[in-house]
Amino acid sequence: MMKRRIAIIPPSLRKYRRTIIMLSIIALTVVALASIVLAQGPFPYLPPSSTENANPGPIAHPVFPILDTDGNNVLDTGNPMSTIKTCGSCHDAEFIATHSFHADMGMANMTFPGQVKNGHPWDTSPGPYGKWSPLTYRYLTPGGDGTFDLGTASWVQLFGPRHVGGGPAATDVDGTPLPQVSVTGTDPTTHVLDENGNITTWDWSKSGVEEMNCFLCHLPSPNTNARNFMLETGKFKWANTATLFGSGIVNISADGTYEWNPNAFDADGNLLPRYTKMRDPGDDACGLCHGDVYADASTTVTINGEPGHNTATTGEIFSPQRINVSGLNVAGKTSLDRAFDIHAERAVNCVDCHPSQNNPAYFRGNPDNQLSHLIFDARRMDVGAYLKEPSHEFAKGKTTQGIDDPETNNSMRDCEGCHDPYVAHDWLPYKTSHFNSLSCQSCHIPHLYAPAIQQVDWTVIGIDGNGKKVYRGINGKLDDPASLITGFVPSLAMEKQFKEDEVVSPFNMISSWYWVAGDPVRPVRQMDLKAAYLDGDHYRSDVLAVFDSNGDGALSESELRIDTPEKESLIKQNLQALGLSNPHIVAETQPYDISHDVTNSDFAVKDCTVCHSKNSRLDQPMTLASYVPGGVVPAIFGSENVANSGEIITNDDGTLAFKPDLAKEGLYIFGHSSVWWIDWLGILSFLGVLAGVSLHGGLRYYFALKTPPPHHKLKRVYMYDVYERLWHWLQALAILLLVFTGLIIHKPDMFGMFAFPNVVSVHNVLGFLLLANALLALFYNLASGEIRQYIPQPRGYFNQMMVQAQFYMNGIFKGAEHPFEKTKNRKLNPLQQITYFGLLNVLLPLQVITGTLIWGMQHWPQFDEALGGLPVLAPIHSLIAWLFASFIVMHMYLTTTGHTPLAGIKSMIEGWDEVEVPNGEPRHIEATSAKKDNTEEA
Amino acid sequence: MKNSKYIWVYGLAVTLLIIIIPIVIFAKPNDNVKKDDPWVHVTPTPVHTDHSVLMTGPYETAQDVTHACLQCHPDAAKEVQQTTHWTWLSKPVYVPERGGEYQLGKKNAINNFCIGITPNWPACTTCHVGYGWKDANFDFSENNQDSVDCLACHDNTGVYKKTKAGYPDDSVDLVAAAQSVGTPNRGNCGMCHFNGGGGNRVKHGDLDQSLLFPDKELDVHMGGYDFQCVTCHTTEHHDIRGKSISVSLDSLAAENQVACTDCHSETPHEDERINEHTDTVACQTCHIPEMARKESTKIYWDWSQAGHDLPESVHEYLKIKGSFTYEKNLVPEYRWYNETSYRYLAGDKIDPTKPTPMNYPKGDIHDPTAKIWPFKVHRGKQPYDTEYKYFLLPKTFGEGGYWTDFNWDQAFRLGAEANNLPYSGHYDFAPTEMYWPTTHMVAPKEDALQCVDCHSETGRLDWVALGYPGDPIEFGGREVSTQTVNQEGAK
Repeated sequence: MMKRRIAIIPPSLRKYRRTIIMLSIIALTVVALASIVLAQGPFPYLPPSSTENANPGPIAHPVFPILDTDGNNVLDTGNPMSTIKTCGSCHDAEFIATHSFHADMGMANMTFPGQVKNGHPWDTSPGPYGKWSPLTYRYLTPGGDGTFDLGTASWVQLFGPRHVGGGPAATDVDGTPLPQVSVTGTDPTTHVLDENGNITTWDWSKSGVEEMNCFLCHLPSPNTNARNFMLETGKFKWANTATLFGSGIVNISADGTYEWNPNAFDADGNLLPRYTKMRDPGDDACGLCHGDVYADASTTVTINGEPGHNTATTGEIFSPQRINVSGLNVAGKTSLDRAFDIHAERAVNCVDCHPSQNNPAYFRGNPDNQLSHLIFDARRMDVGAYLKEPSHEFAKGKTTQGIDDPETNNSMRDCEGCHDPYVAHDWLPYKTSHFNSLSCQSCHIPHLYAPAIQQVDWTVIGIDGNGKKVYRGINGKLDDPASLITGFVPSLAMEKQFKEDEVVSPFNMISSWYWVAGDPVRPVRQMDLKAAYLDGDHYRSDVLAVFDSNGDGALSESELRIDTPEKESLIKQNLQALGLSNPHIVAETQPYDISHDVTNSDFAVKDCTVCHSKNSRLDQPMTLASYVPGGVVPAIFGSENVANSGEIITNDDGTLAFKPDLAKEGLYIFGHSSVWWIDWLGILSFLGVLAGVSLHGGLRYYFALKTPPPHHKLKRVYMYDVYERLWHWLQALAILLLVFTGLIIHKPDMFGMFAFPNVVSVHNVLGFLLLANALLALFYNLASGEIRQYIPQPRGYFNQMMVQAQFYMNGIFKGAEHPFEKTKNRKLNPLQQITYFGLLNVLLPLQVITGTLIWGMQHWPQFDEALGGLPVLAPIHSLIAWLFASFIVMHMYLTTTGHTPLAGIKSMIEGWDEVEVPNGEPRHIEATSAKKDNTEEA
Repeated sequence: MKNSKYIWVYGLAVTLLIIIIPIVIFAKPNDNVKKDDPWVHVTPTPVHTDHSVLMTGPYETAQDVTHACLQCHPDAAKEVQQTTHWTWLSKPVYVPERGGEYQLGKKNAINNFCIGITPNWPACTTCHVGYGWKDANFDFSENNQDSVDCLACHDNTGVYKKTKAGYPDDSVDLVAAAQSVGTPNRGNCGMCHFNGGGGNRVKHGDLDQSLLFPDKELDVHMGGYDFQCVTCHTTEHHDIRGKSISVSLDSLAAENQVACTDCHSETPHEDERINEHTDTVACQTCHIPEMARKESTKIYWDWSQAGHDLPESVHEYLKIKGSFTYEKNLVPEYRWYNETSYRYLAGDKIDPTKPTPMNYPKGDIHDPTAKIWPFKVHRGKQPYDTEYKYFLLPKTFGEGGYWTDFNWDQAFRLGAEANNLPYSGHYDFAPTEMYWPTTHMVAPKEDALQCVDCHSETGRLDWVALGYPGDPIEFGGREVSTQTVNQEGAK
């Protein structure tokens, strides 16, 4: 044993023996203990603990205290919160509030009535604070106006639910906080109209102001009901605090306002982390004001009563849900296996296309300032600076009814900012032509699947004091879930959608009728309308006497409309009795751009004949109104481009419609467009020739029966070379097929069995074949000198022509000889010469050139546009095609005028012709110089 | 010029060719070339010989029928006896985390439904593909070929029914059944696989009796194209392809598995964005948005509640089994899964304070072979030995069993003896969970998940739990390094 131990520890270390042994024992013990501990650890079958993968996840918003307007913690004061102070402790809340149209609502651009571009004579700003809309009707009275409708405080009460706060809810036009604005006269900023119609002062100190409400968009599930209640009841300063109600941060207090829940805060007075779930605004946040927007696919899409604003005006529903599983009773929904909006479905959120303008992730910069050699411009705000001063001007397009602000118009990426249409439309011929004249929306928003407003009628009011609204796209009442939603096909009109040039774009048209009165003219106040129509909660007896045609004491839908002069004059009198001067009905039709509810290729318009046919989608009229109050026909409001691209027509049944007239805008749609007189001229020439040759042929037949033609002595001549024959038949077949395919393209409805795009490509190929054949023939004729045959000789030519004409008019019936001998070197008689000269030197080149130019719309559109574009080129091409068709008839007939009817055709096939041997009579041409070896006796 | 008689034929031919060739070349219509045709891979079911004249009977016992079958199919029983349908036990498999070879099958597995088959044979072996497995002495050898149950799979009368120890029910007309034999249909497989866990729709969530007569919305293959189980679960020598991690230790990605890609291309979608997903997301994840779409399935089973005289309801409470929760249109839970799994084996120690997975899919975000899969997770509470710290296998069925006497202690003692797993005399109930990969009830493509079902604030995937920093649509997808691939390959 000793020996072995000695062997283990080398002699040199023997003096440390004890230490080594002790250390070994300790080490062994540790190992043993560790193995026991480890053995107790994860059991062999157990998966690795999921906490090993634990990941903090996306960065959360830091905690913060909630402050009141004095900057004190609300826990100490119990005051309502100030978003400007609370969020302003880190973000530049003042910057945000002053860089946001959502807060400003047009106040910054406020001007005098009548000076707003594309506005009503009484509009005072380009935004909802000052721009009157027949949909909301109430009018924000400008200072100094004679009749008082809405003061600022009433505006906030009424329209505040669709306003984020700040702007007019916090300051006056000059930026003075509202409680500090001095009360003067009946200034609408500090006055309101009470329910009795008296102008009273509004105590802004008592109501407080509504600061821009950060939480409305940045807090998940804000309480809009509580907020709206505070706004409606005039407790403006509590509106933002009310937004938090239900989250656990505030509770309702005894006086109907709110008190802070101390349990939601930590010892330092900061909100606990579970309450600070600030976020990028989700789609649902935008949907609070902008329409029916759904953030997820699992929430069933429904319509209960009036849809949200943008849904009501356009029929757009922004939801990733598929229509066939939605809660809407949509006609044919089982086949609608598509999301309401493809971008919603593909997780593209509102803020992805409408980001903050200085968001560095989306920043694009002003295109005018871009350096041409840079693909990516790194000169942009860094994230820290952005979080401090995020502009709340959001990237947007430009809509006809939206705010027209040169600085923000088209600041968002258009479709082509993300998509390359050339890559995605492999199947589409003439891509450039299509993309230059159509917006992407025209095909990719083929149908809206929700009801939208069609007609607003404020010339009458219901018992509830509101005007009537008629929706399109629904059979039945809005609030009846059994009503069938048919949706509607948008109307197409020309507008500048992101582009310099106008393109075909989809719209919903909303027509409105309302009374205006006074000088300067103003819409008649709702209050006055009520007085003119109602007596408390029922109609005035004089109104019933005129309107209630069936005498049942109630006014039905069809009775409550101004459709007779009696009704109109009664209301006019009643309004005049209220002191209104010159009340009269006016009307307008507002086009609302449709740009959501986009679908992908599966449901987009792909069938060419949708547009390229007689009933082209491009000029389908959209019904505007089922009746016309007061007989006043509206005019397009807000967009000259739309107004110019169609006209409002009255149908025979008294309904109104907007009929696009795209020809007016320079669009020529193959298969749809045509110039009537060109077609008639063409048909007449074709039929004329047909009739002429029939008559001529009939006469020939008649005379031939009467007097059998004398037998002329014939000889066989080798008339046509192989190349000439090949050229001729190639040309003949190509032209026949071109005329035929061209006819299909011109009138596809008549040839439904042919696929339009295929016919177009065949026509193009044939065209180039014809061109190549013609060029080769030109070369042949030039090189061989044969070209001379086509050139009439000036001397005596007219006489020769007359001789030939006389032959056709007279001699031919009597079996006379052909006046000009046909030889290898002189195949054409004088009439043929002039005809072919025109055909081959004028018509054919013209047809080839116009055809090539039409094809060239795809390749050099600017050049074509300079020549007048399709509206000029296409009719010329059609006319020449008609002339060609006529020529073919004539030509085919004249081939029968040889010594036998089929001799001409036979010779063009075989090359050998049988020509009359001159029988001694003087001929009108020089002696033939035909080579001897080309002739033989027949 | 004598040969000019047919010149028009040549001329016409040349002219037409000159016109047609360019048209064909330049104006050919855009045809969408079909990428791949899954039908190429589907073997049509062969027509089965009519056995009605061959199987005249009479048969006294079920074994007589098998005996008759074997006259013409002498290898059939031997083949069946090689399969797990007969052995209820796998061949030895190397288990890396245990460092040894193990065998697992229904014979010795423990789960969180009826727990284990020993010593409850006659009840459990109702579904054995044999006759007479009523105790530990059942003969699995080739000497017992007549006890192979041919009719379980081949009866086509639709009324064949097995009962205790696998014998046919008295109601079965053996001659009619024998005459009807044919290719197994959904009813044959479903007799056991739709009823796992003690009844219809209990176990799988994606297999239940609604698949007997499915519509297209329920199962696009079976309902839309009338697939039978064996259309995909193809069979050679009675060895049926396909297995699940409920009773398997080895890799499922091995050759014996059924996969969508057997017929469909790896990237069958028109949209390249969706094809980008197929390295990371199993087909099933999007194409089975919900399971149990026609009938609810059991998601919770608490054995600790058993034994009380409470009002009974098959889907809520039974005195013999405890309380349950069922759910219809169950949204799966999602885990990384490389088609191998951890497995609890009888006797493994547990931590009773935490839910013990009876099985758990292997794989994580760094594993290039792992994909995100949908699972039905069945949770429960079941008895364990508080001293030995392992799950107990009670005798539930038969004499002295819990279902007869409602005496847990006695049930555990009897179970311990039969399983040779000591019981200390002290027990309690511990939480468990069991993972069932979802693969049947594939919905039509129109009903597949859409982008926002996962990629949105309310999406159904817990990205952080899966190991992502956040939604990969914002934070980027996983990047699996080639180094990791090599390591995995080396394993």
